[in-house]
Amino acid sequence: MALPPPPPQFVLRGTQSAVNSLHFSCRSQAQSPPLLFSGSLSGLVHVWNLHTRRVDATLDGHGGQSVYWVKTLGDQRLLLSQGRDLKLCLWDLAEGRRAPVDSLSLDSVGFCQGSVLRGGAQECWLLAVPGRGTEEVQVLDMPSKTSVCTLKPEAGAKAGMPMCLELWQPASSSHPLLLAGYEDGSVILWNVSERRMLSRLSCHKEPVMSLDFDSRKAKGVSGSSEKALCVWGLDEQQNLKVCRTQELTNPGIADVVIRPDGKILATAGWDHRIRLFGWKQLKPLAVLDYHSAAVHCVAFSDPGQPREQLLAGGSKDQRISVWSVYNQS
Amino acid sequence: MAVFDSPQEAFGILRPVCVQLTKTQTIENVEHLQTKLHTIGDSALQDLQEYVLFPLRFTLKTPGSKRESLVQCVVECITFVLSTTCIKKQDLLQELFSELCLCLSSPNSQQPAPVSEELKLAVVQGLHTLMHSAYGDIILSLYQPCTLPHLGFAISLLLTLAEQEKSKQIKTSALKCLQVLLLQCDCQDHPKLLDDTEREQLGDLFASFLPGISTALTRIITGDFKQGHVIIISALKVFYKIIGFVMADEQLEKIPKDKKKPSVECRVAELMVHREANWVKNTGSKLATLIEKIVEFVSVHPHWKARMELIELVQDLLLKCRQSLLNSVGHLLKALVGLVNDENADVQSRCNKVLKTFADQRIVVESRALADILSENLHSLATALPRLMSSQDDQGKYSTLLLLLGYLKLLGPKVNFVLNSVAHLHRLSKALIQVLELDVADVKIVEERRWGPDRLAESSSSLSEPPLYKSKSQRKYFRFFTDERIFLLLRQICQTLGFYGDLYLLVDHFTELYNESVIYRKQAAMILNELIVGAAGIEVEVLHEDKSMAGSEELRQVITSILEEYISQKNWYLVTSKEAEGTMKHSHLQAITSDVHTCHLAPLPSSSELSLTVCSMNSNIWQICIQLEGIGCFAHALGREFRLLLMSALYPVLEKAGDKTLLISQVATSTMIDICHACAYDSPRDLINNNADYLVNEISLNLHQMARSPHTPIVLEIMFQNSDASLLPLIEDVIQDVLFSLDQFHDERAASFLSVLHTVLAALARWFPEAKDDKQLQKQNFRKEKYDLHQGSSTLGNGFAFTTPAEEIEQFLLNYLKNKDVADGNVSDSDNEEEQPPPSEAEMNDVCPDVEALLPVQTQIAKDVMERCIHLLSDKDLKTRLKVLDVLELCVTVLQSHENQLLPMIHRVWLPLVHRLTNDDPLAVLRAFKVLCTLGNQCGDFLRNRFSKDILPKLSGSLVTQAPVSAKAGPVYSHTLAFKLQLAVLQGLGSLCKELDLGGGDLNKVADACLIYLSAKQPVKLQEAARSVFLHLMKVDPDTTWFILNELYCPLPYEPPHPSLYPVSLSGMAKPRTEYTDNVLLLLAELQG
Repeated sequence: MALPPPPPQFVLRGTQSAVNSLHFSCRSQAQSPPLLFSGSLSGLVHVWNLHTRRVDATLDGHGGQSVYWVKTLGDQRLLLSQGRDLKLCLWDLAEGRRAPVDSLSLDSVGFCQGSVLRGGAQECWLLAVPGRGTEEVQVLDMPSKTSVCTLKPEAGAKAGMPMCLELWQPASSSHPLLLAGYEDGSVILWNVSERRMLSRLSCHKEPVMSLDFDSRKAKGVSGSSEKALCVWGLDEQQNLKVCRTQELTNPGIADVVIRPDGKILATAGWDHRIRLFGWKQLKPLAVLDYHSAAVHCVAFSDPGQPREQLLAGGSKDQRISVWSVYNQS
Repeated sequence: MAVFDSPQEAFGILRPVCVQLTKTQTIENVEHLQTKLHTIGDSALQDLQEYVLFPLRFTLKTPGSKRESLVQCVVECITFVLSTTCIKKQDLLQELFSELCLCLSSPNSQQPAPVSEELKLAVVQGLHTLMHSAYGDIILSLYQPCTLPHLGFAISLLLTLAEQEKSKQIKTSALKCLQVLLLQCDCQDHPKLLDDTEREQLGDLFASFLPGISTALTRIITGDFKQGHVIIISALKVFYKIIGFVMADEQLEKIPKDKKKPSVECRVAELMVHREANWVKNTGSKLATLIEKIVEFVSVHPHWKARMELIELVQDLLLKCRQSLLNSVGHLLKALVGLVNDENADVQSRCNKVLKTFADQRIVVESRALADILSENLHSLATALPRLMSSQDDQGKYSTLLLLLGYLKLLGPKVNFVLNSVAHLHRLSKALIQVLELDVADVKIVEERRWGPDRLAESSSSLSEPPLYKSKSQRKYFRFFTDERIFLLLRQICQTLGFYGDLYLLVDHFTELYNESVIYRKQAAMILNELIVGAAGIEVEVLHEDKSMAGSEELRQVITSILEEYISQKNWYLVTSKEAEGTMKHSHLQAITSDVHTCHLAPLPSSSELSLTVCSMNSNIWQICIQLEGIGCFAHALGREFRLLLMSALYPVLEKAGDKTLLISQVATSTMIDICHACAYDSPRDLINNNADYLVNEISLNLHQMARSPHTPIVLEIMFQNSDASLLPLIEDVIQDVLFSLDQFHDERAASFLSVLHTVLAALARWFPEAKDDKQLQKQNFRKEKYDLHQGSSTLGNGFAFTTPAEEIEQFLLNYLKNKDVADGNVSDSDNEEEQPPPSEAEMNDVCPDVEALLPVQTQIAKDVMERCIHLLSDKDLKTRLKVLDVLELCVTVLQSHENQLLPMIHRVWLPLVHRLTNDDPLAVLRAFKVLCTLGNQCGDFLRNRFSKDILPKLSGSLVTQAPVSAKAGPVYSHTLAFKLQLAVLQGLGSLCKELDLGGGDLNKVADACLIYLSAKQPVKLQEAARSVFLHLMKVDPDTTWFILNELYCPLPYEPPHPSLYPVSLSGMAKPRTEYTDNVLLLLAELQG
């Protein structure tokens, strides 16, 4: 019989409200400790020091409106946070600064998280966020904030609002691509520079809640409010095709994340559980049962030393559970 | 007296006296000369020196036997002259030298002449003065090869005197004189400007005498203790000065291989020694025996000055001749090492200083040979150590360990040479482990339990106490020694090892031993603790300044790994008591199954052998204590850096602080104080408060795996006791976890969870008291009104209200009726609205019926807990039921300000509570009644009807049936449960009636039931309690009470004021004195007053 899943390595308490988004930042200058950023319903971004397991700093930049996306840019110093106050804040946390250095007004009231793509070594990067129109996705060049393009499905598509975005750059070409999950349950692949839809795949009957893409295997996964995960692939003609679907016990996937080493997939379930799958065959590996409310987000730490790789889950029960699982090999 | 400075005058004065003396040599004449000499100035005397000396020397030289006293007198006179003048001629010096020596020679034997002690003393002093009066280089003429025989004679003469005389004075003078003679005088006025060649010559010369001098001195030194330390000190001084001179490495280096052509005749040449390598080697080995003897003897000399001189000897010899005395270096160091921890502080500090100089000069570290010798010594000591430890007595062990410590200190970082040899490390550790074995036969340790509330709160003020690592609060008892000093020494040894040794190597080795066997585990843990303390450099006297401290990162890693070992399941959760056995069995089994691969290494008591002896439990207790102490040590070693480790360490420590075994909880508490000291927390409370997040994390994780960690509730309890309301947000989800676990495991672990809930609610009640005040204030006002009301009615009832106008009575009655209606709840809505002011905006929001307002956390918790209580009230285990009742009471207290929540809950809890009150064990009834009282206090109105319907009949019934029993019972009855129950009911009933505001019929029931207890036949306490019921009843309804009491016994006749009225007849009137009389009278007096 398989061993029972381990307890969390530790649990972070003190956000005082539901945790919406998590982001690790462990690989950095040697002297600074590994950090975990969390965005919460109360509009605060907490910076957790993973050595002391305590909050190092609390960032208040969204006027008490829920923060639903946090992400660092490259290193620990630059942090993006996206909130329900229709603002996207950029923080420079160097030398203990606690105020946003820049912000960007958003036009969408949805819950769609943004996505960033670093443009090579330069200090510029692409940002994809939901746009003004219901179905639009806007791609911006940062930090100049100039709009690169607005992507909108053709008139009769009825895709609904974008729900999740994933910018990526295929190794073969220099054109950045964008994967977007829509309200109608379809995933659309966009060519950003040509501003055209490359492929559309209707893989869910319910809105796509989250997707993640493994560019090495050209395979992605999406989760919706249904009882299934959908794995799809991208062929040479840049067409999306369903590879397989994985039935789940309980409906509702809030977040799916593939571990950076491409071995494991984690899902955040509305059933209070984090589930782990092997990414290759989607073999169910473990059910991490700790939270007492829906899990909103999961995140893997940057691939540091294998033994130190962590998984974190943030939940409506205001706790962040940190796990050390499948680290041995 | 006039002083004559010019030689002419002096001559004039001295001449007749000298002539006189030359003619007739008598004592008188000598004395005459001496008195005259006193009047001569120094310079004049210098000129006339030879002239004056002539008659004196002549007197000595006159053939034939002379009187001793004359000789003595002459010698003294010569001494006087020499003391004020100096000799400038070599001949004179030599002649005087031999003449003085001759005074003590006997013509036909080696022994000095058998003359009086005074003469001997005079001659020795004369020689001493002579040596000092030689001018400049003149003195060297005495040390030519040709004068060797004279010199030899003088030396042997002095040695014999020093050795054989009885008088201390002669002995010391002789030794002093010898010192001067060997040109080693330490007084200032010596021109000691010897150049190298001169030194070399002198060295060669003295080398001839070395064997004689050293053996004789050794005999003197190792003589009787009683001869006094002064002589030993002088002898030691001469000993090391002469050896230091002759055997000085500096000189020996320059000695050429070949012997120089002797410049003297061959007889004398034979006596001369050439100090070539061979000679040095031989002499060195011979001296080694002597030095060994001396060291052995003097290092235990009772007088500290003698030991101090030994240190000087060691220092001098080690500094000057460590090459030539290679064989003795071991002994010399041994002496030093042994004195490092001397009982005399001066000796100790001097010794330390000397050791430090050696260390500073890198003598030990750089000269291979010396380090080799030390290592060799340490090797052989380590080899012999296990044997010595088992065979020696305490004193022997003490000195052996002292020596060990000294070697370690002296070797410093080089100690690793020894440690790197597996065999020696093995030996050393075996010996340490063996000697540190604890005595675990004491039953008391196992039996002493911790009772009552946690001491932690009190101990918060005790931060001023010295930390544990300094004063081991808990004395340990060892099997192989009793002397506390030995333990201190062992600790120092381990600390020194930790400081200088390779930390990884040592920690690895001892961790291995720790895991190897239960037998070694405690000792290994003790050693590990001290190693860490040492490695951190706490309390280690640093001899080798250049020793780089263990890097804090390295230290942290080592500590983390030891800590992990200590608090691992199999080492931390040991069976320490019989009652724990059951619960432990489970976890042990788990530990065993989960650590199958380590099982053969660590023979855990497998479940089949779990029938534990007292010894093994005692041993387990000690093991835990040592590990706890270790955590304290680690904290000190790391200082504030330990804060990070609190993440994993604090929880286990708290767990042990709540242990039932007294010793463990004490040690854990002091460990916490240690941690506070080290990590700069003000108090254990502060420590817990600041790290509550770590604790909560562990607690919550453990609650999810309750089966594996049965101690979690204890920690939670302690944490609650030590923290405040600011903690609430953190623990909120933990409490939910507790409730969740309770729901899951209510049959197995209900008891421990309930105690947690009890603590939680007690804490909540403590943290949020303000609500209570409001409520009570409000309540008091309400009561007051009511009371006034009754006061009004009572005046009416008493019949003193005749003058009251009819309107007033009418108004009163109207009010009364209205109030009664209100009290019964028959209030029409319209009335209500009229009276109440329109609710403010905020209140509107609050009572908004659709959206349930978000409850404060504490209320929500209390509500959730109460929910569980409802289910658990009917648990089949009595203990659980009792606990539930306690928790319930607290829930009610916390919820009191939220009637909207409280009342529905009470409604639900009522039925099971009635069952507890009516058909349950008396204990439960007692507890339930208490709850009832609290309930009555909080929401009397709500309960009134229920009480009178469900409970009162039963309660009064039981009171009535019990009354005859208690009336007849003897004094033992007051210890029975039945009595306690009666008492509690009687004590509580009164106030309950008042709180519930019971109506007339119910009050009568209560009064009837309690009346019987006013009997004098009842136990006094019950009478008192019954009286208290009536006192309360008086407040509720004074008239009825008055009537009831008077029915029983009426002290006064009531005459009707007018004959037209019927006479009052009460059944208690005109009764003879009964059993009730006393109490009734007391109560009536109270009522009237």
